[in-house]
Amino acid sequence: MITSLAWKNVWRNKIRSLIVITAVTIGVFAGVFSLAAINSTVIQRIDAAVNEELSHIQVNNKNFRSSSDIQNIISDYPGVVAALKSTPWVTKVTGRIIIRGIASTAAKSVGVEITGVDVEKEKEIFTLSEKLIPGTGSYFETDTKFNTVFIGEKLAKELNIIRYIITPEAVVKLKDQGVPANIISKIETLQGQRFTSEKKFIKAYEKLLDAREIQKYEWKIREAAWSYREGSRIILSFLDVNNDQTGAAFRVSGIFRTNNDMFESLSLFVPIEELRQLTGMKEGTYHRVIAKLENNDLTNKVTPVIREKLKDVEVLNWKEIQPDLAMMADFMGQIYAIFMVIILAALAFGIVNTMLMAVLERTRELGMLMAIGMNRRKIFIMIMLESIFLSIVGGFAGMAVSELMIAITGKTGINLMKYSEGMEAIGYSAHLYPTIDAQFFITTTILIVLTGIISAVYPAHKALKLNPVEAIRGE
Amino acid sequence: MAVVEINNVFKTYHDTEVEVKAINGVTLSFEKGDFAVIVGPSGSGKTTLLNLIGGLDQPTGGEILIAGHRLSELRPSELIDFRMDHVGFVFQSYNLIPVLTAAENVGFIMNLQKWPKEKQITRTNELLSSVGLSDRHNSRPSQLSGGQQQRIAVARALATHPEFILADEPTANLDSKSAESLLEIMEKLNQEEGMTFIFSTHDIRVMKRAHRVITLEDGKIVSDETTKK
Repeated sequence: MITSLAWKNVWRNKIRSLIVITAVTIGVFAGVFSLAAINSTVIQRIDAAVNEELSHIQVNNKNFRSSSDIQNIISDYPGVVAALKSTPWVTKVTGRIIIRGIASTAAKSVGVEITGVDVEKEKEIFTLSEKLIPGTGSYFETDTKFNTVFIGEKLAKELNIIRYIITPEAVVKLKDQGVPANIISKIETLQGQRFTSEKKFIKAYEKLLDAREIQKYEWKIREAAWSYREGSRIILSFLDVNNDQTGAAFRVSGIFRTNNDMFESLSLFVPIEELRQLTGMKEGTYHRVIAKLENNDLTNKVTPVIREKLKDVEVLNWKEIQPDLAMMADFMGQIYAIFMVIILAALAFGIVNTMLMAVLERTRELGMLMAIGMNRRKIFIMIMLESIFLSIVGGFAGMAVSELMIAITGKTGINLMKYSEGMEAIGYSAHLYPTIDAQFFITTTILIVLTGIISAVYPAHKALKLNPVEAIRGE
Repeated sequence: MAVVEINNVFKTYHDTEVEVKAINGVTLSFEKGDFAVIVGPSGSGKTTLLNLIGGLDQPTGGEILIAGHRLSELRPSELIDFRMDHVGFVFQSYNLIPVLTAAENVGFIMNLQKWPKEKQITRTNELLSSVGLSDRHNSRPSQLSGGQQQRIAVARALATHPEFILADEPTANLDSKSAESLLEIMEKLNQEEGMTFIFSTHDIRVMKRAHRVITLEDGKIVSDETTKK
């Protein structure tokens, strides 16, 4: 009966209760959703780093990182591979040759890290092949007698392999994307011109459009004008095993796009046999062995096991290679805590305020209840239950709205293209896919209920202090 | 047999520096089946005396015995249970629980006393019928007139067969028709069920129906007259 009376009391002043519940709902939603969005940036960055750039474990010659001399190879490659394969939770292993060199086109030269990869094994470990920009070729699938290279979009732009041309097809594309006719007619004036760099193209359309038009349509314009001629060539120059200058022309097999500009502009990939042939490195020699684990969470557990087995080489996990990522992953726990404190404090103040008002408003009634025989314990429980119901309804509504919005935006993504240059420069995606784990929802639910209970103590205590005689008189 | 025995009771309030003797040496008893009113001018101590009899307040001197219980010996938590089990209250401003229906209000104390559901329903129906509100079973207090609300309050007070009912100015907020109707019901319950009623009132209509009129002035009894039986 106390429970049903408490529930009915919550709805006694519907507008006030709905306002509090709405405030709690918005507070919980804002907190949880922001957290999910922040969480997604970290998770996406870690996933990208692990699946596109680093994998979980890297094994190098002990001197390789301080001096990337071509001679710093892993001396016992079969032994390292066997040790890794025999370690629980290691799922895939592959070797790489890594050398420094210069990539050149007629227009430019850029310093790069050239990675020789076992194409098939790499596909099992990394998702880079899936990052191929459609229409730019393939991940080493073209049958050609030429050397081939897989490069990042950023590097391709720097080497002027990617150009910007307003073609009739580009105009149609802009129309399809809903760009207004007046904007298209301005852009059409650039037809026939070839812009060899993104910068030149930007300068050109900035003269034609005002700031608002640029802000709204520049991504669509750049995307439509983006142009690449399949089979473009670059020259790679590097030192061979004898420290003699060597190099060759490579046809671009495909161009990949990630969210990490640094990685895109520095790293390029060639089939390992081609690099071995050009550098004179012997069969079975590698600079790095990469190991993939069942999942990221096993990293800290597996690393010491591998390190114990491989004492003559350097064993590093992704957290050690990119400590900023590890810090972000650990920092998320603290961000969770801070957000939760803010959400729950707001919830607590809202509930305390509402319940205090409810107690003061119902002084006479509470006095009457005490007079006719409702003991203080029952009054205390009734007020506590009212607070808990308010918190639970608001909290759960907030969680439900958050869950729904996270589910929707988790699929559609949140487009922050406006900030893409800045975000991608530091390796973060401008497309967020909010996500939060189930554990967070369970913890939050428990904390909301606990907050409801704690917030109710003061108003309930206030109710207990009422003197029935004075309360009935309405004092 | 005396249901209520009040022996030389005092109630003094210390309001800042002034000492107010609200009840000043009252000795009084009420028998089972009494239909008594306490009258007197404002500030004479009527409501204070009623609060003392109902165990809502403690005297500063003397003793009150109700159904053999010495109220001064009961702890606050025991007093609450005592009130629930032995006293029925009817207040001037009805004081029904607004979120409950008429039937739920009547059944409220039975519920607190954990009566079996069936018994609660039977007793509630019986009481609603005796106060003439069988058809307002599911009405909320806000859907009832003042007189109807006060009749529900009487039914609630009677629900668990208390020793007596204390009614503090029960007709003060009612029009004459509703007041007469309420008093008829109370009188009938007194005559048919032998329920003891103790009123505090200014209302001449209540005084006319009373079997006993006790007049208080400055916290003292100035007269105690039995008018009819």
